[in-house]
Amino acid sequence: MSDIKKTPASSTAAGFSTMLDRRQLLLGAVGAATLGVASGFGMRPTRAADRTEISFASASFFGKEGLGDLVKAYNESQDRIMVKFIELPPPSSSTEVYQGLVQQLARRNGTPDVFTQDVVWIAGFASAGWALPLDQYFPKEKRGDYFPGTVAACTYDEKLTALPWFVDSGMFYYRKDLVEKHGGKVPETWDDMATMAAAAQKAGDAKFGYLWQGKQAEVLICDAVEVITSNGGSILSADGKSSVIGDKAAVEAIQFLYDTINKTKISPQNVLSWDEEPSRQPFTSGEAMFMRNWSYVYPIAQDPKASHVVDKVAVAPLPHFAGGKSSACLGGYQLGVNANSKKREAAIEFLIWMSSPETQTRLALNFGLAPSRPAIFQDAKLKAEQPFMASLQNVFTGATPRPITPQYAKVTLALQSSISKALVSGNVQAELKAAAEQINKIIA
Amino acid sequence: MNGAITVPAVDRTPKAKWALPSALWPWLLLLPAFLSLGSVSFYPIVNGVYLSFTNRSLITQDNDFVGLANYAQLLADPPFWNAWWHTIWFTAVSTVLETLIGLAMALILCETFAGRGIVRAAMLVPWAMPTVVTSKMFGWLFDGQHGIINFILLHLGLIDQNVNWYGSPDTALTTIILADVWKTTPFMALLLLTGLQTVPKSLIEAARMDGAKAWIIFWNIRLPLLLPTLLIAGLFRALDAFRVFDLVYVLTGGGPADSTETLSTLSYKVLFSTLQFGYGSAVSTAMFITEGLIAVVFCLFLIRQIRKTT
Repeated sequence: MSDIKKTPASSTAAGFSTMLDRRQLLLGAVGAATLGVASGFGMRPTRAADRTEISFASASFFGKEGLGDLVKAYNESQDRIMVKFIELPPPSSSTEVYQGLVQQLARRNGTPDVFTQDVVWIAGFASAGWALPLDQYFPKEKRGDYFPGTVAACTYDEKLTALPWFVDSGMFYYRKDLVEKHGGKVPETWDDMATMAAAAQKAGDAKFGYLWQGKQAEVLICDAVEVITSNGGSILSADGKSSVIGDKAAVEAIQFLYDTINKTKISPQNVLSWDEEPSRQPFTSGEAMFMRNWSYVYPIAQDPKASHVVDKVAVAPLPHFAGGKSSACLGGYQLGVNANSKKREAAIEFLIWMSSPETQTRLALNFGLAPSRPAIFQDAKLKAEQPFMASLQNVFTGATPRPITPQYAKVTLALQSSISKALVSGNVQAELKAAAEQINKIIA
Repeated sequence: MNGAITVPAVDRTPKAKWALPSALWPWLLLLPAFLSLGSVSFYPIVNGVYLSFTNRSLITQDNDFVGLANYAQLLADPPFWNAWWHTIWFTAVSTVLETLIGLAMALILCETFAGRGIVRAAMLVPWAMPTVVTSKMFGWLFDGQHGIINFILLHLGLIDQNVNWYGSPDTALTTIILADVWKTTPFMALLLLTGLQTVPKSLIEAARMDGAKAWIIFWNIRLPLLLPTLLIAGLFRALDAFRVFDLVYVLTGGGPADSTETLSTLSYKVLFSTLQFGYGSAVSTAMFITEGLIAVVFCLFLIRQIRKTT
């Protein structure tokens, strides 16, 4: 309970919940009177002790309200289950969130019963036997309600071991005014993008043509997955048993990133030391024409206090290579149930509520987190309050997961090192061949 | 309150029965310190070394004794040697620079001049700042786009286009070393200053009377007497520099192209990102051994020096 009380009383149901807390506190002394109060609010007189208590661990998300408020709302909505919220660091410290989860799950004592996880941890948690397979609860026909990419990311070894919660993905930000001036149409291929960006740079309309994230960090893998997939390539083969990052499609894609700095010069050298925020700043201060980034940038770009380009920015699917298909790297968080949970049914029930259309709509409206169910994008209120989300639906539809392997943590370190070397030296083919060999050893 | 309490007569004889032999008392009093040191310092080290002989992994749940397999893997692991060389290079260059600049600062601060107290206090500011703050500050100073260093160098005509300090493998490690030198030189200066002040004034006075020039006094009197302090300060600094983590973590995360990966950041990644506790412990044990070797080298010099002077 203490965890729930800690959250600020910003919830719409704050007064209501104070009543509930007090009811539990005073139960022994003035039970009957307080029960009267509770039933006045439509609560059935069930004591907290009779409810099945489950724990829920998550990175802390917040917007107009916090996750604690959401959990509180759930606890108030029904009278059989009581959820205790274990708050982990915010998702910007995702390494710490990961460590916090692993330490708890590795104890195999059933705590936390429910947890939220980044897409790239799913396979590891599943192969360690920490995540409960959910197939019997969510048969194939129910999974059609979600974006296919998110379901793919939640599937390991042909078992559904997580449930999509909200989605994020890489997207293409562009300056409407500059696109208008230099051709009028949002570029669909990387070549068109480079040509337009170079033209705008030459005309002095933008200091930078295209901004992306080249720092030796996780985000570099996301950028790489996008260009590689948009050329029909991949990091792992379809069966997941070997790496194909040394193949032509991937080499061409990374070569393109290298060329943005060294040949077409639409990107500054600095992208090699930039992750999300350093690349976002020049864009929102009006220095760049195109940028690849996550959905969080959109509200910032439209905020007059933080942005010089209010109303001039729009998003589109990322470009692709001629003959390829646009690809966005899948981000976002998913729900999972601890395989050692002793309260499986209650955990599943909470899971269903958390991933329900109602809760996802609330997440979208109050937290700014995009639904993993396409249907919600048609919600009138969502369209009115978060208009940008509706325009992102196309982007989310095809979002591609990063390699799905229990060895992801090792794979990403090897990739970060090799791709960074390729981008610095220009020996793209040699570095990616070496990366493929190394990954083959890791996943063998 | 007043007068109601009567103190009962205490029979002091039983206490004598409990008295310990006086030789045991010091040990008993030291016991809490030993216990706490043992639990927070000795136990983790021993456990770390033990883990390095296992294949412990949180993800695969392996936990078998594998003997020296981790070390065999380590010796054949290019990323390890890459990080090892960077760490040695970082340690050597930053320690030498900090000692030389620190010595110069100490020699200046040793002289009497107006405002010496303020200068001595102000000098310590960089050292007192949290490393994360220093890192962020250097991140901005050397920013490839808006950094003031590029601005100055451009205007002086020393470079003709912005240098991407942290984004290029040629400059990233050097720039991190500069940040470390800026931050830790005051600490060296402080240590060396105390050393300089132990040099008897009479010796210097006498030399001056004999007409010795300043650099002769420095070379023949101050430096030899300062040598033990130099060695100890160098040892402190080298051991500390060898563990460099926060500067690298904040500024580059080990990149670009692994050019700033150090043993600390590597072991952090292996331990806490990939959760290979066995292999990660081998990396940290190798680090521990290298640090031990550095300490031994310094101590040998120190012992030789002490033998020479006594």
